[in-house]
Amino acid sequence: MIFHKAKGVQIDGRKELCKKHPLIDYLNPDTVYIPLVQRHLKLEPVVDVGDIVKIGQVVAEVGGFGAITSHASISGEVKSFKKVWHSSGKMVEAIEIKNDFKNQLDERIKAVKNVKELTREELVEIMKNAGLTGLGGAGFPSYIKYQTKENIHTVIINAVECEPYLTCDYQFIIRFAKKLIKGATYMKRAAEASKVVIAYKAYNTKVEEVLKPYLDKYPDIELYPIKDIYPAGWEKYIVEQITKKTYKSLPAEIGVIVNNSATAIIYSDAVERNIPLISRPVSITGEGIKEPKTFFVPLGTKVSDLIEQCGGYIDGLEPMKANYIAGGPMTGRAIFIDDLVVNDTLGAVIIKLFEEKDYPECLGCGKCADVCPVYITPTEIKKAYERKDVNLLGLLDANKCMECGLCSYICPSHVEITDAVKKGKELLRKGAK
Amino acid sequence: MARFAGGKAPFIRIANEKGENTKRIMRDFLIGLLPVILFSWYKNGISVYLDGNISVLEMFYPLFFIIMGGLLAYIMEGIFFYITDKDNRNLKGIMRRLNTSYAVIPGVILALLLPLYTPIWILMFAAFIATIVGKMLFGGFGNNVFNPALLGYAVVGFTFSGIVTDINVIFNGSEIVMDSYAGATPLGTLASFRGTGDAFSYQALVEPYGNLWDFFLGTIPGALGETSAFAILIGFIWLAFRKVIKWFTPIIYIATVFGLSWLIGIMAGDSGVWFPTYSILTGGVMFAAVYMATEPVSTPTNPLGKIFFALFLGVLTVLFRFVGSLPEGVGTSLIVMNIFAIPIDTYSGVIRTKLFKKPGPLYISILVGVLIILVIYTLVASGNMYTAITSLFNLGQVI
Repeated sequence: MIFHKAKGVQIDGRKELCKKHPLIDYLNPDTVYIPLVQRHLKLEPVVDVGDIVKIGQVVAEVGGFGAITSHASISGEVKSFKKVWHSSGKMVEAIEIKNDFKNQLDERIKAVKNVKELTREELVEIMKNAGLTGLGGAGFPSYIKYQTKENIHTVIINAVECEPYLTCDYQFIIRFAKKLIKGATYMKRAAEASKVVIAYKAYNTKVEEVLKPYLDKYPDIELYPIKDIYPAGWEKYIVEQITKKTYKSLPAEIGVIVNNSATAIIYSDAVERNIPLISRPVSITGEGIKEPKTFFVPLGTKVSDLIEQCGGYIDGLEPMKANYIAGGPMTGRAIFIDDLVVNDTLGAVIIKLFEEKDYPECLGCGKCADVCPVYITPTEIKKAYERKDVNLLGLLDANKCMECGLCSYICPSHVEITDAVKKGKELLRKGAK
Repeated sequence: MARFAGGKAPFIRIANEKGENTKRIMRDFLIGLLPVILFSWYKNGISVYLDGNISVLEMFYPLFFIIMGGLLAYIMEGIFFYITDKDNRNLKGIMRRLNTSYAVIPGVILALLLPLYTPIWILMFAAFIATIVGKMLFGGFGNNVFNPALLGYAVVGFTFSGIVTDINVIFNGSEIVMDSYAGATPLGTLASFRGTGDAFSYQALVEPYGNLWDFFLGTIPGALGETSAFAILIGFIWLAFRKVIKWFTPIIYIATVFGLSWLIGIMAGDSGVWFPTYSILTGGVMFAAVYMATEPVSTPTNPLGKIFFALFLGVLTVLFRFVGSLPEGVGTSLIVMNIFAIPIDTYSGVIRTKLFKKPGPLYISILVGVLIILVIYTLVASGNMYTAITSLFNLGQVI
C-alpha cells in the first residue's frame, strides 16, 4: 500500500517502576463496591441492603446480548447502594459490601472432579456463569467469542501488555504460570482449537523462563515473542504477526480467538474450582506514587486503599499538576477525584506528573498519518470533524480508529488529535443513523 | 480526597518525553539552512573580499542582511502580538507568544530569496508582508495558507520589480567587475530566447557562466540563497536525516522538473542531459524543493498528498518557466500550489484510506487526469519557444 509503513512506535515502557515488588495479595479490604455497570450495560442488583453475601455469590446480572453476572468478591453485609467513580470516567451505581472477614465461600465454589470430561458447551457455560470478561481493558464478555460458528483452529493468549507502565499481566503470569497454561488449554478445548499460542514481549525473558518447563507436557502450546513496540498488544497486530493473515472485524473470521493472559488465569480457576471473576491484578504506579506496586485484589476494592499500601503519593504532590489515570497511559482516562474502585477492566492506576507548557498549533508535519496503525489520516479527520462534515468522515473511514493514541503521542505540537478523531468517530456513528 | 487535573489520553507525549517537539523541528530547520547561509556569505562576502573588491566591514554585509531578515520578522511579530493581545502587553507575555510562533524562519528564508543589496526598507516591507499579512492575519503559525516568505518575496517582486530588477543587475562586488555576466541571471538569458525562434544552446545558456559544475557549486549570479545546489544538498541530507522533511518531496519535485525539461529539450531537437541539469540548477528549483516545497504548514500533510503536491509543483514550474511571461517559474508555481494544498490533502487523505474502493478510483483519476492534462499542455505550449517544435505546432493548427 502507498506509503503505509506504520510499524508501531517504541515507547519508553517505564515498567521497571512496578517490577521491583512481586505481585502482592490484598484480598481482604474493609469494604468493596461492586459497580452495577458492565461496558455500556446497566446491571440489575439481585441482593438487597442488609443481605449477607458470600464470596462468589451472584449480586447483579443483566440479560440480552452480552448477558453477564457480577459476583460478590468478599463475604459480608450489603450496606447500601452508592455512587462511585468508575474507570469509564463517570460515577456509577455500586453495591457496597462490608467485609465480615469470615471469608465464607458460596456453595458453588468447590473442586470440580470431572474437569477432563467437560464438553465444549459446558466449558463455555462455565465462562458465562463466571462472568468472565476480557481483563485486558475492553471488558468484552469472553463467552461470546466462544459461541462463534466459525471453525477455530488457534487460540492466542495475549500476554503482550504493550501499554507503558503496566505490569499487572506480567506479574500475574510470573505468579500463576501453571494456571495460565491450564487456562489456555481449557480455552483451547472450549474453542475446539488445535493449538494455543502465547504471545509475549520478547524482552520479557522471565515470562519465557516460567512458561518453558510446561511446554514439554503441553505440546499444543507455543510461545511467540513479539517486538517491543506500541501497539503490539493490539488484537489485530498479534493475529497478523502469528498467522500472517488479516481479518476485517473479528479474528474468528480466520479461525482465531484472542484472549488476555489474565483472563486465562482466572478461567483456569473457574473451570477447576468454579471461582467466578472476583479478583484481578492492578498496578498502582507512576512517578506520583512513593512505592509503585502491583496488587492482586478483589473487584470493587477502593484504589485509595491500595495507594495507601504503596506509601501514598510522593511528598509535595500537587494534585492539579498531576493526572490520575485509570488504565494505561495511552488509552486510559483522567479521573478527577481519587475515589476510584477497581472493576474488571481496570489494569492500572497511574499518577503521572505533568508540566504546563505552551504548545504551538498543528504545523502539518504528517507524523500522525505515518504512525497510524489502521492507515487513516488523523489530520483530515480532525478537519472534517471541525466542519461537522459527516460525509467526509465516512470517506476517511473515521470509524476504523481504534483509539490507540499514537497520533497524539507522536505529535510534536501536542495537538489533542486522538480526541478529535474519537469525536469524529462518534459523530460519524450518530450521523450515519 | 484530592482533586486531580483533567486531561486527554494519551498521557505520554513525545513532545514532552523526548523533546521531539515543534521547537526541535524548527531549530533543525534553521540548522538545515546554515549551509546555504554560510555559502552565500562565502560567495557574496568572503570571496569578494579576498578578491579585494570590498572592505572587511562590507564582507559581513551578506550575513548582516540574512540576520536582518530574521530579526525584522521577529520584531514585527512581537509588535503584532503587542497590538492584538491586550492581556499580555508585557515582555514576558510577548516572548511566550513568540516562543510558539517561530518568526525567524520565514524572515531568514525571505532574505535568502532576495538579491544582495536589496535596500533594507524593501526587506522590511517584504518581512511585513511575510509575517503580518502572510502569517499572522491568517491566524498565526500553523494557519497560513501561503508560504509566508514566498508571499513576501512575491509581493515585493511585483510592486518593486523595478528596484529589485535594478538591484538584480548587481549581484555582488565580484560580479560587477566581471563583464561576461552582463548582469543577467541564467533564467533571464533563457527568457531572452522566448519567441526568437532560436533553439537554445549550451554555448548561449551555460558558457557565459562557466560550466554546469559552476552551476552546481553556485558561483553564478542569483539571489542570496538560491544559487548553490551543493550547499542545498548538504541541508537536504541533514533535514532528511533528522526527519524534519520527507525525503521524497524534493526528489520527486526535482525529478519532475528534470524529466519535463528533458522532454522539452528532446522535442526541440537537443537530447543532451545538460539542458535538464541546467534547468534544475537555475532559478531556485533546488532551494524551493528543499526548503519551500517541504514547508509543512502550507503543503499537504499526508505522505500521498506530498507526492501529488511535488508532482503538480514540478509540472507547474516548467509550465510557468517556459510558457509564462516571467522567467521565474518556481515562486509562481509554489503560490498556486499552496492554494491547492488543502484540496489535494483532502483528496489524497480519501485515496489513502479507500485506495481502490469507491470513491478512491474517482479521486485518483481526477488528480492524475489534471496532472496529465497539465503535462500535455506544458509540452505543447512550450513549443512556441523553440524552432523545432514551432513547425510541428503550426502544423497542428493548420490541420
